[in-house]
Amino acid sequence: MNGTIIRLTVGALLGVTLFGSCKKDPANNLTNDESRIYITNHDTTANFSSYSTFSIADSVAVIQDNQFAGRQKNGFDSLAIDAVTQLMQQRGYQKVGAKDNPNLAIDVSRIYNTSTGVFSYGDYWDYYGGYWDPYYWGYPGYGYYDPFAVGVYTIQTGALEIDLLDLKNATANGNKLKAIWTGMARGEQVFNTANVSNEVTALFEQSAYLKK
Amino acid sequence: MAFLLLAVGTAAQAQYRSDLQFNVNYNVNIPSGSFRNFISNPAWKGFTAGLAYPVTSQLRVGLSVGYNDYYQKYPRQVYSEGAGSDVSAVLSNSVQQIPLLATADYTLLKKGIIRPYVGAGAGVNFVSFDQYLGEFDNPQSSAHFALRGEAGILIPLSSYSATAIRIGGSYNYAPYNRDGISRLDNWGIHAGVSIPIR
Repeated sequence: MNGTIIRLTVGALLGVTLFGSCKKDPANNLTNDESRIYITNHDTTANFSSYSTFSIADSVAVIQDNQFAGRQKNGFDSLAIDAVTQLMQQRGYQKVGAKDNPNLAIDVSRIYNTSTGVFSYGDYWDYYGGYWDPYYWGYPGYGYYDPFAVGVYTIQTGALEIDLLDLKNATANGNKLKAIWTGMARGEQVFNTANVSNEVTALFEQSAYLKK
Repeated sequence: MAFLLLAVGTAAQAQYRSDLQFNVNYNVNIPSGSFRNFISNPAWKGFTAGLAYPVTSQLRVGLSVGYNDYYQKYPRQVYSEGAGSDVSAVLSNSVQQIPLLATADYTLLKKGIIRPYVGAGAGVNFVSFDQYLGEFDNPQSSAHFALRGEAGILIPLSSYSATAIRIGGSYNYAPYNRDGISRLDNWGIHAGVSIPIR
């Protein structure tokens, strides 16, 4: 009888293991669209209607594992820049050149992280001046405000990042270009050209305050 | 507690001899109470298995292990993550419970083609809770106290057979107090067999 008990006990434990391996995996039950998340942060003290003009960079920064990997403009990048431009204009802001004293500067970045772990948004901002020299916006010698932290999640794919910087109040902000809005899209096929319009639109739709 | 119950059973064995029973059941469990705020879908994939030792012709004590897999996906929604921070995501909650309980069953009728029984269990509930925002998750595992009360019927395969079909329902009290969830209580229904081990 002892042998039978042992066999049954082993059987029960195997059953638990087998049922455990049959666990419904939520990540496998998502479409690519459902896998993506859209994170926005904004400075709650900023008055977004006080800004009138913006300028957007004509290329995107590529950041690989927290290292600046260059500035590029592929098909996805062009569509992202166009989508952001269009939505900013729909919200009442006027696009001007970088040398035309814009109130807001917009940077677009592609962030890749090949490691699994906790993503530190602070790491990205530690080197922000290296990705986007304030000189580009006509503010040589200025620094950047580190913005608010984004939620911490496990990184499995790349991220599209859009940052709005306050040029209008740069001097008043202690010679810093302060990020007053950031938007991040992450998930499956985030860099697919077919998805870029929806991604940028989603970031703006959850930011109703972002308007002239 | 399990050892205490088995010790009681061993002492009583001198007075009553019968077969050790192996029970295996398919379970469907339905979240109740505050658990439903996170998952309201039934757990269709569940089972319990256990050994029951005869103390008397009507009372058995033993050990039981179970498994239940709860899952629910919510449509995309914007969640506020604090001042100025918002996340739009499809949210999925996934909970697995593995209760390991010391059990006692009491059969109300000694004879008959249908024999009602009541039972109770107490022990440890191993819980895996995983919440996904999109494809990004935050798994948590922990162990908690658990109680189970159950009632049902045994249907012997024949007048001379100790093998019986086992059908019933249970309520599982499962305190949790983590991740904003206070309880993982659930109702369960089960169907299975009780087999003697000679």
